[in-house]
Parts: sequence; structure tokens; C-alpha cells
Amino acid sequence: MSITIANKSAPFAHGVSSVRKTMFLVLLALTPATLFNLYLFGWPAIMLFTVTVAACLIVEAGCLSLAGKPVMATLADCSALLTGWLLAMSLPPWAPWWLGVIGAVFAIAMAKHSFGGLGQNVFNPAMVGRTVLLISFPVAMTTWIVPYPLFSAGAPGFIDALAITFGGQMPDAVSSASALGHIKTELSRHIPVIQSMADVPGLTDMLLGYRAGSMGETSAILILAGGLFLMYKRIISWHIPLSVMGGLFVMASIFHLVDPAKFASGTFHLVSGATFLGAFFIATDYVTSPVTRTGQLIFGVGCGVLIWLIRTFAGYPEGVAFAVLLMNALTPIIDQYTRPRAFGRNRKGEPLPLEKRP
Amino acid sequence: MAQYKTIVKDGLWENNGVFAMLLGLCPAMAMTGTATNALGMGLATAAVMAASSMLVGMFRNQITQEVRIPVFILVVASMVTLVDLFMNAWMHELYKVLGMFIPLIVSNCLPLARLEAFAGKNSTLPSLMDGLFMGLGFTIALTMIGAVREIVGTGTLFADASLLFGPAFKVMETRLLPEDTGILMMILPPGGFLVLGLLVVGKRILDVRAGKAIQMGGAHSAA
Amino acid sequence: MKKQRTFSHGLILGAFCLGFGIVLAYSDHITVDDIKAAALQDRLNSLGQVIPASIHDNNLVDDAMVMNNQGDQEITVYRATKDGKVTGLAYEIFGVGYAGKIKLMLGIDTEGKVLGVRVLAHKETPGLGDKMEVKKTDWILKFDGLSLGNPPVEKWKVKKDGGQFDYWAGATITPRGIVNAIRNGLELFAANKEKMMDMNAPKAEPNKGGH
Repeated sequence: MSITIANKSAPFAHGVSSVRKTMFLVLLALTPATLFNLYLFGWPAIMLFTVTVAACLIVEAGCLSLAGKPVMATLADCSALLTGWLLAMSLPPWAPWWLGVIGAVFAIAMAKHSFGGLGQNVFNPAMVGRTVLLISFPVAMTTWIVPYPLFSAGAPGFIDALAITFGGQMPDAVSSASALGHIKTELSRHIPVIQSMADVPGLTDMLLGYRAGSMGETSAILILAGGLFLMYKRIISWHIPLSVMGGLFVMASIFHLVDPAKFASGTFHLVSGATFLGAFFIATDYVTSPVTRTGQLIFGVGCGVLIWLIRTFAGYPEGVAFAVLLMNALTPIIDQYTRPRAFGRNRKGEPLPLEKRP
Repeated sequence: MAQYKTIVKDGLWENNGVFAMLLGLCPAMAMTGTATNALGMGLATAAVMAASSMLVGMFRNQITQEVRIPVFILVVASMVTLVDLFMNAWMHELYKVLGMFIPLIVSNCLPLARLEAFAGKNSTLPSLMDGLFMGLGFTIALTMIGAVREIVGTGTLFADASLLFGPAFKVMETRLLPEDTGILMMILPPGGFLVLGLLVVGKRILDVRAGKAIQMGGAHSAA
Repeated sequence: MKKQRTFSHGLILGAFCLGFGIVLAYSDHITVDDIKAAALQDRLNSLGQVIPASIHDNNLVDDAMVMNNQGDQEITVYRATKDGKVTGLAYEIFGVGYAGKIKLMLGIDTEGKVLGVRVLAHKETPGLGDKMEVKKTDWILKFDGLSLGNPPVEKWKVKKDGGQFDYWAGATITPRGIVNAIRNGLELFAANKEKMMDMNAPKAEPNKGGH
């Protein structure tokens, strides 16, 4: 926080930013990646996406009317839409519909409205929804599929898709492990990373998104583009995304140098999983991240290190959601210790002594 | 008689140890994965509470102000040990599930809180009643938490009840949802917190509907 | 005066301690035999599941011995005998699961063929990793009758690792741990057959031993 602002004086112009406009821009930034993924995973993904977003909106409306708040006006701020959108992007694309609905209930009702609604929640709603689903339905939440683009050979048609999303008839043959999951399983059988890396898609494919994973995990490059767009529009600053990716990259690289057989490289960690989505769209949530720049850097590095720790040592192959939630819990403390100095006062809040200028 | 009516009502619902006072949260979280375990733990706690409240009520004139806390702890710890021994010897199946948690009743602050707040100031019979019904209220609360967690988490209710209480209780075992459909998180630790929170909200809503002022008795002394 | 009061407090506390001490001592006295019997019954029950009653006429707990397994862990080996001849063995084996150690009881006959395996204790996720409990599914019964040669050693693995054993949806680590534990258990027997079947070896005390 620089204090150069002091040389401006009233009257101030009205800022054009509002919750609605911010949310809208975030959605806009997410759109290319989403469209690409919906194309990549076909009708079942489109249905799951629709159901999840609709469920979030309905739960939001229900909670608002229960709490006696204006329903339509608040719905129009698009925050529930964004939560549903992010939640849908964190699900396996061919997951059954009820996964989206249960996730929506936990994300909106539990994580957001039981704390008092938008701006009051401690934890990122979409990530709470995803985490609840992951620990409750580990099988359904880790059944990844290889991409079957719309209209390509072997892709399910509209009717088949209905059976997949609503009938729970998952074809056996198409499931595939995500890259992170694959390396984890292979390591548990004592197969070194170097060897198992041969089976995962190459870096270019990973970057472009032609691989198994949740909707938000694939197409890293489009997510990255969306994130850069948000930075350009000054919706988010560089602090959180860069420190998340930096923390992850540095940790992974150091350990990769020490023992390449056991630890995947930093670059692999960056492009795999939900790193970009997490760094640009999830960790940067205004409500649940620190206010000051220093705080944001601490928060981001914490996220990055935790992501690496969880991916490497914990039971689950992907750790973005857990890492962000853990750092969310620390946000109030980070804010407490990185409170900026008020103008004219020292850090303890006492007025600065007057000095005679020469 | 009116006094006993209040004791019963307070213990079972109005001033319920878990839902109103938020005491004894450690067993209320750890032992409520299934309704059966919750019921067993609740009953064991109720036995300890009834016995220790009665004893303290009986000897309240001998227990001086200065040594009351050590004596209370001594009473509770002794009762817990007795329950532990008797259960191990004569209710072994139940003991195998709850055994690990029986010693935890000592650290449950609800028995101690009732000794301090009630039994130390009242005569034998009311103390016994208070201990018993506070304990039963605790049992009800635990069983409710356990039932919700079990139904949502695994789709069963009172699973393995016959294993614990005898074959006659086989009728209690029900399956409400098909196999493998539960929300697994509910029987894991986070589920305990969520369900407790929701049930406390439920009780508050009922209290507000009934026009009662909400009081937070003893909420500051966590278990 | 003040000194006297302090003294009386001590006396009160002491009296309560004495009183409860006596009560506890007496309760221990009347329950100690039943507790011992219950513990013994527990062990016999878990042994009875892996050693059929028809093959022995001895008390399994009486004819036990203690030895070290591959991991240098002390285990108790229970021997089933009929007419003085060893007909079967049962001992604890350990597998590494998703959430820590899985303790199992393995029962085999003198040829090294599995009579039965049961899980004694585990910390796997309920509803996901606990399908090896016999009251949930009969997965663990599939090992009955198998031995080190049947299937061949390289097939003593879960399917994912190129072996022949199925695993249930969502969990590979748990079944893998169990399959490995059973294989190690059988190998332990193959390597120490003489020692484990030697009835003249010093007996273990019935109430000691891992459980």
C-alpha cells in the first residue's frame, strides 16, 4: 500500500466496479476454457455443468428467501453462478448428476449461507463443495475419462449422455487415471516417477488440455489466458497467482533435483492438475483471501507449498482444494499480522512523532 | 414433585447437556459414527453420572468447599473405572466397541459440571435424578447425532445393535438407503461437527418458536 | 485453628480415597476372572474363524509359541493338534493399508494351504476400505484353499499389479496390502516350517501374546 494517494483530493469519481461486474468479468475469463472443455468431454459434461450451475442457483435462491433477503437482486450479482461454475469445473466431466447437486448444497448452503452469505464466508464455497464430494464419494470423484470431443467417433450422443449423467451408466472402457493420480499409484508400487512419466501425456498435450481430468484441470493454456485477462482488467493482481505457482514450482523443483525418481518436476506440477485454475480463479477469491499485498504473497506461497505437500505425501493425488481451504482458514490471522500502517501512525497505531525538517 | 418435573425436563431437553450447554463434545464427536455406538456411550455416561451425582448428593455435607473438586474428580473417576470393569466382564461385546472410550468419560466435563452445579448443593434423591436425566439427555443427544450421521453416511440405522445389546435387538437394525449410497463424510470427523451444528440450530428454532429466550449456559467451558 | 482445618480437609480427601479404593479393589476382585475369560474367549473366537473346529481336539491357546516374523516382530503362533499331531497353525500377519497397519489372523494347514484369513483390526475408511471385513463382503474368503504354489508366487498380487486377485472399486491399496500380507505370511511358514510345527518348543503363556 503506497501512500501516494494522498496527493489526490475530493471529489472522487464513482468507481465502476461492482460485485456484479467483477463476477461477470471472471465468468467471461472462464468462458473459453469452459467451452473448450465442454467440447472435449461432450454431452455428459454439458449436462453435468448445467445441472450443477442450476442447482447452485436454486439453493442460493432458497437460502436467500429463508434468510429473508432479496432473492432476485442478490442472484443477479452472479456470485452463485460463479460458485456453481467453478464447482462444475472441478468435477469429473462424466460424473452423475447428483454429485453436482450435493456439491451445490454443501457449497452454497453450508459454506456460504450458514456464515451469512456473500462476503461472510470463511472458506471458498466451490472448494468446500468439491472437498465434501471428494471425501464422501472417492470412487465417483476420481473416475476420470479420456477426452471424447463432441461429434467425434465414439463420443456419446445426446441419449447416451442422458444415461451417463442421469442413469449412472458409466461405460467401463473409457475411464483413465489423471496424470497426478497415475504417478501416485505407480509410486505406491515402487515404480519411479521417471518411468511412470512415460505414460502420461506430454507437456504440450497437458498444456493444451488433451488429457484426462476434471473440466478445470484440462486446457491449462486457456485457463492461463483467462487469468491473464483478469490481471489485465485489474480484477486480480499478480500477487496470489504468482506466489501460488512460485511456491509450488520452487518446492517441486528443489525436491526433483534431490531425487528425481521420487519427485515429479516443477514444470509437471505446474501444468498438471488444477494448478492454473486454483492459482488464478480460486485462490484469488476476494472474500477468502487476505487484503494486503504482503498478506496475499504469504497466502499464495502457503497455498503453493501445501499443494505440493498434499500431492506428494498425502493420500489424495490432487491437493489444490485442500490447500486453498487450509489457507482460507489462516486468512484472518494473515490479515491480522499484515495490517498496513495507517498514514501518520506507526505500526502500533500511535501517532508518528513530529520531526522538524531542516 | 414440581422440582423433579423440572429436573427431568431440563435434563432431557430444555437444558440438554449437548444441545443447550454444548458440554461433552469430545464423545459427542468421537462416538457418534453410528447410532448404536452413540447409544452405548450415552448409556454408559448416564450410569456414571447417576451414580456419581447420587454419591456426591449423599456426602455433600462432608465434602468441604476446599476439597470439592478433587473429591468430584475422584468420584467420577472411580465410577468410570467401575463401569469399565463391569462392562469388560459382563458386557464384553459392547466393551469391545466402547472400551477405548469409556475412560474418556472422566474427561467429559458434563458429569463434573453437574456435580458442581447441582449435586453439591442438593440432597441425595434430586441429585440422583439430575445425574440420571442429564445423562439420559446426553444419551438422547448422542443418539440423535449418531442416527443422522449413520442414515446420511451409510444408509443404515442402529447397525450392529444386536451385536452390542443382544440378539433381541436385531429388530432395531434397519437399512434405509441401498448399500454404498451414503455421503461418506458424515461418518468421518467433519460430519460430527456439521450434524451437531445443525441439530443445535434445530433446537434453537424450536425454542424460538416456543417463545423462549435463548440462553447459552456454560458454552464457554468447552469439553 | 487454621492448621486444624487444613488437616481436616486432608482427612476428608483421604477418607474418600480410602473408601473408593476399597470399592475399586473389591470390584476388580469380582470381575478379574470374568475379564480374563472374556479375553480368552475373544482370542478363541478369532482363532476359530481361521481354524475349523473339526481338525483339532486341543485348546489352541494352550499350545502356542512365540517367534519373530520377517519384520522382527514377535508373533504368537497357535497350533492346532489332533491326537498329538499338528494339523494346523494360526498366527497374526500384518499388511500396510491406506490408513496404517491392517492386522489379520491367518490360519493354514500343515501343507501351507490357507484355511482362513480374517481381519482383526484396521483403520481403513469405513464404507470404502472396509470391504475386507467378512461381515461386509466375502472378498476375504476367496483366499481359502490357496497356497504359495497355487496361484504361482508371481500371481500373488492384485490384478492392477499383474496378479490374479480382484479388488473392489475405489480401493487398490487396501487389497494390495492384504494380498502382500498373506503372501508374506505363507512365506514365513515355508521358511520356518520345522520351527513352527515343533511342539517341544517352549510354550507361550496363554494370557500373553499379541491381541
